[in-house]
Amino acid sequence: LVFLSLTASGFLTAANVGSILTSIAVLGIVALGVNMVVLTGEIDISVGSALGLCAVASGTAAKSGGLAFALVAGIGVGVLVGSVNGFLVTFGRVPSIIVTLGMLYALQGLILIVTGGNTITGLPQGARTFALSDVVSINVSIFVLAGAFVVVALLARSTTWGRDVYAVGGNRRAAVYAGVPSRRTRWLAFVLTGALVGLASVVFFDRVGVVPTNAGQGLELQVIAAVVIGGTSIAGGRGSPLAAVIGAVLIGVFLNGLVLLNVPGVWQNVVVGGLILLAIATDALRRQLVAEGT
Amino acid sequence: MQRFQLGRELVLAILLIVVLVVFSLLSASFLSVENFFNVGRLSVETGLIALGMTGVILTGGIDLSVGSLLSLVAVVVGFSYQDGLALGLAILLGLAVGLAGGLFNALFVTRLGLHPLVVTLGTLSLYSGIALVLSGGSGVSSFPHWFVYLGQWYLGPVPAQLIFFAVIAALAWIVLARTPFGRYLYAIGDNVEAARFSGVPVRRVLIALYTAVGLLVAIAAIIYTSRVSSARADAGFGLELDVIAAVVLGGASIYGGVGSIPGTLLGVFFIAFVGNGLLLAGVESTWRQFVIGLILIVAVFVNEFFRAGASPTAATSG
Repeated sequence: LVFLSLTASGFLTAANVGSILTSIAVLGIVALGVNMVVLTGEIDISVGSALGLCAVASGTAAKSGGLAFALVAGIGVGVLVGSVNGFLVTFGRVPSIIVTLGMLYALQGLILIVTGGNTITGLPQGARTFALSDVVSINVSIFVLAGAFVVVALLARSTTWGRDVYAVGGNRRAAVYAGVPSRRTRWLAFVLTGALVGLASVVFFDRVGVVPTNAGQGLELQVIAAVVIGGTSIAGGRGSPLAAVIGAVLIGVFLNGLVLLNVPGVWQNVVVGGLILLAIATDALRRQLVAEGT
Repeated sequence: MQRFQLGRELVLAILLIVVLVVFSLLSASFLSVENFFNVGRLSVETGLIALGMTGVILTGGIDLSVGSLLSLVAVVVGFSYQDGLALGLAILLGLAVGLAGGLFNALFVTRLGLHPLVVTLGTLSLYSGIALVLSGGSGVSSFPHWFVYLGQWYLGPVPAQLIFFAVIAALAWIVLARTPFGRYLYAIGDNVEAARFSGVPVRRVLIALYTAVGLLVAIAAIIYTSRVSSARADAGFGLELDVIAAVVLGGASIYGGVGSIPGTLLGVFFIAFVGNGLLLAGVESTWRQFVIGLILIVAVFVNEFFRAGASPTAATSG
């Protein structure tokens, strides 16, 4: 961060900070949900396709009913997808990586079937307020991200469900014996992720202006990268909603820094991959040192 | 346990036959020797990687980086040839890159004790990124005649790479079912602590395993490049999903300890024939992904549901 602000003039300006935050709004909102799923010890890699499908739903709804209708449609579809994921994982006893891998496929196919392979265009400007308008010169999508963070942080800190998430993720067997409703807890984490994906889908088409059939493709990797870079343990139980936001911001900062340093865009994947490996390697080394110290 | 295993493979074999019969009825051109060989030819790359992935999933791990590594090897071979390296040497370089990619994964997993899911997620991004940087987004498609011939060569009616695949698959089967190395993989997947205490060299086994996957990916990349006579950075995009779907469909448990090469082969061909059959039956290709996703979920649901129902730990795992 310091390196970037020294080497690239124009990095640490209010406008640039704003543009970084705007660019990671979708990533951050989705990461907040997946972060909770990871905290329960599960994983969700269907969010990319799910975002695409939600965007198709919310984009279509926006054409006929404006922003409010788009939100209802997007979040509705998202919750539905999350419920199915959660149901199969908890009551179907299928490992979450398989369920969401299957969903990643199935939903991608569904997008193509529903749209017939056509990009959704002609979205009304009125429905794009999230990305196109500013409040006190801050883009509205940043407020949406901040709002989502506050809600998720409150849910994680101050509700029974939030405590159950950590209990289930920390030691599921012990949690079950202690009377924690493990299935319901994990199911709700998937449903919450679905709802956030639906919300993010509206921010997405607001920003992009159209809904292409490959919307959201590959997002799942960046999302999991954000969660892991932020410091949430992939094994569950350790981490916080702040991790998702920090991870997303870090990814945004590095990608933005590359642009300012005139590094070609093809380096993007190298940087994201390197960041993930660096983050997990330092975490592992730190834990090894701590273990040796005691 | 062994009988249970065979039972599941039998179920999948019967399912495969049902699918073959249904598609034969739906489409006149499905049931022909040429079509079968063609489907086989097209699934060699997925199949080769799936053999290695079976080993990885047996140990309770996963490798998401295989598609990216395939792209990287294809780009390395293509561009080093274009820049003047003899193609034979370029192929050797490609194999070396595959080995190195696998070894890199292996060291991260074993030395740092990290979950393979996160490690290979990172390298998935890294390898495809390097492939993109090296190629600058363009492709190489002018290869000498003999190289193109390699992936499009037939011995009578049989595609050459199918014979090669059959040999490698037989080897993999023997290694998994009949050698100490194979037994170590099952032991690690079953209970890594128990395996370690019984003297299984866990670290060495895992390093060998992930490196072998890298080599299989490199071989698949060369066959692929030769077959389509083009090397591009998006060659292996999404391939990891096809491979994992095939292995899991073949009865391997994602928790480790359960799975087999015959099962994986059935999984590979099941997916290949469903895709091909849908195409020939005139179903739009957009349905393929949808159908495969559903098949994967339903297959594992049936698998895990019955396994969990039969095991005493079901109450706590649910």
